[in-house]
Amino acid sequence: MDYYEMFRMTRQDMFTHQETTRHYLRIRVGGGFVCRLGTVQVPYDRQKRSQNIDEKSQRKWKLVLNCAISECFISRDEDQCDAYLCSLARDGIQALLTKVWDLPSEQIDNSIYVTLPKPVTKLPREKPVPKGKEITKWEQYAREKGIKRRKKGKKVWDEVLKQFVPRYGYRKILAEKEKNWVKEVPDNADPYEDQFAKAAEIKKENIAKNEYQRLRNIAKHRKLKVPNVGITGNEYASAKDLGLATHYARHATASLGKFQPDLPNEKKVKGLGKKRKHEDTTGDAEVEKKRYMAVLEKIDKPDLNLEGAVHKQIRDENVIMDLERRGGKKYGRRSKMGGRHRTKSDHRAAKLGKGYHKIKAKIKSKAKFGGTGKGGSKGNFGDMRKGAGKGKGAGKGKGGGKAKR
Amino acid sequence: MTVMKRVVKPRTRRAKRGLEHRAPKITENTKQCLFFYGTKTSDSVRQCLKNFYSFKKQDGKYLQKKKRYLPFEDILPIEHLSQKYDASLFCTASHTKKRPNNIILGRMYDHHLLDMVELGLENYRALAEFKNEKISAGTKPCMVFCGTQFEDVTEFRKLKNLLIDFFRGVEAQAVRLQGFEHALQFTAIEGKVLFRSYRILLKKSGTRIPRVELEEIGPSLTLSLRRNKFASEDLMKRACRQPKQLKPKKVKNINRDVFGTKLGRVHMTKQDLGKLQTRKMKGLKKETNDKKENSESSNQEASASGPVDVDQ
Repeated sequence: MDYYEMFRMTRQDMFTHQETTRHYLRIRVGGGFVCRLGTVQVPYDRQKRSQNIDEKSQRKWKLVLNCAISECFISRDEDQCDAYLCSLARDGIQALLTKVWDLPSEQIDNSIYVTLPKPVTKLPREKPVPKGKEITKWEQYAREKGIKRRKKGKKVWDEVLKQFVPRYGYRKILAEKEKNWVKEVPDNADPYEDQFAKAAEIKKENIAKNEYQRLRNIAKHRKLKVPNVGITGNEYASAKDLGLATHYARHATASLGKFQPDLPNEKKVKGLGKKRKHEDTTGDAEVEKKRYMAVLEKIDKPDLNLEGAVHKQIRDENVIMDLERRGGKKYGRRSKMGGRHRTKSDHRAAKLGKGYHKIKAKIKSKAKFGGTGKGGSKGNFGDMRKGAGKGKGAGKGKGGGKAKR
Repeated sequence: MTVMKRVVKPRTRRAKRGLEHRAPKITENTKQCLFFYGTKTSDSVRQCLKNFYSFKKQDGKYLQKKKRYLPFEDILPIEHLSQKYDASLFCTASHTKKRPNNIILGRMYDHHLLDMVELGLENYRALAEFKNEKISAGTKPCMVFCGTQFEDVTEFRKLKNLLIDFFRGVEAQAVRLQGFEHALQFTAIEGKVLFRSYRILLKKSGTRIPRVELEEIGPSLTLSLRRNKFASEDLMKRACRQPKQLKPKKVKNINRDVFGTKLGRVHMTKQDLGKLQTRKMKGLKKETNDKKENSESSNQEASASGPVDVDQ
């Protein structure tokens, strides 16, 4: 496919440093054959708005915010080299700097500074435009009434102390203390009332009121609703706080929350509403006695816990059997003995919540009574048990079964 | 139960200053840039990111860890990062089979995504490959955009805006003439963008204006446009809104004439020229009644002489 190509070459004279630009036109013919045709005048390109025309190359450049924007025809040369791009860039930068050198300049500290013009390209901001400070309720009122702010001095003349006292701060408080070492009780006031405490209370209330109003202003600014009464907690109110809030909300009805329906998953808060009732300290002694005896009866256990005894017996028998199997050896090397819990019975005992040492004690006590463990133990315990026959039989059966295991 | 949002009050002066630094302002801070990687990267794309970071070292933050960042799928983690580091520009690099040598350039408005463009990296030559003297870090570059596509095609136009914003650096009112060191060139050709970076050498020319000579220093890459997510018109408009304080003040009524003298017009209400205060001249004084009687008689005598012209 044949097409025309236009490109320009710039040469600089070695001695005069003058640039000569020549524009060439060449045809690419079918098989890649190139024919140079000579110089041609580069036409104006379709750029509409321009600020600067570079007379040399007749290309239009736009200078914007330290950029030179050239809309020029780029040759679709397949082997476009970096040199071509470099030349394009060079032209652009030359045009840019030509414009820059013409800008108003000033010299600061041996270097010339140039004031750049305001940017033309619209670049987006990083963050939104800041909103102005919101006026408070008082400021709005003052504006309406035309009340102007008067600058107050730091010190105030005090008639009583006959000196200049600061308007605020530590020394103000000291001065006040000096002044108010005594306070007159007004005629209509209670003689036992603490006037100092009263004054302190009033001051606290004023501070609280001020704080409330400040927060209200902030809330207004941030468009939040603040109720006049009730609870305004933090964003992350604890379960307890929420419970308290629901409790108050519930009981803020005419019937004090008696007929208030429950929400599906609502849990009643503990420790609210009803007070714990204590018993009377004075009154009938008999009633009190009865109460305490009932408690005692609950604690009191029966003489024999049959099942417990049976289990104990079985356990002890197992221990002795293991000991016999080992050949009466109680102690050996711990590692050889299989660790802390040496026997199966120990393990079982451990499961039952009793330690190895307790069993050892039992074994010792049994051994004292004499004879081989099995027979002796049975004989000894036999008469102590209530249902002896039964117990024996049962024990044996159970013991036998267990021992075999 | 109503809940009031917590008012975060800083407890130290340093914290207060930090908050003020991050708060929206009339004249903004320089846009900070975040550089981070996706899970998998290739050598060239990693080098490219590092080279970009070297351009923006003063206003950039380089995150070493590779995390699964996929801006086109989920932008939220990147918005969190932007909030954390107070950065409104970001640049991610990744390499997958489907998208080899991928670079995503993006910017934020109010820590939410504004613009994002995915570019494919080809023919990359790193900074290190050009063995010559480089420029000092933090210099403002001069940018050249070549190619009609940057004006014609909307995507390229928006890309140009993004590139200007990205490589701009500090917003300067006055620049030192010796300070023009760096030049960046973006050429749009056949849907691709060629990125070249040069060092400006100012040589003596016959005139006052020096001759510009360029020496290629920086990375040279070919970027192909892949996916993009540009801001909608109204969002862009909202983001470009400037505060009233920055708008140039209109000066009315003052103009300068050819000689450079400052002229202005004074507007006055209509005046009764008869009651103007002028210098007192007795001859022009209006006569009183007594004097009139006297003058009448005298006038009768003088009337014969003819009318007297009185200059007003």
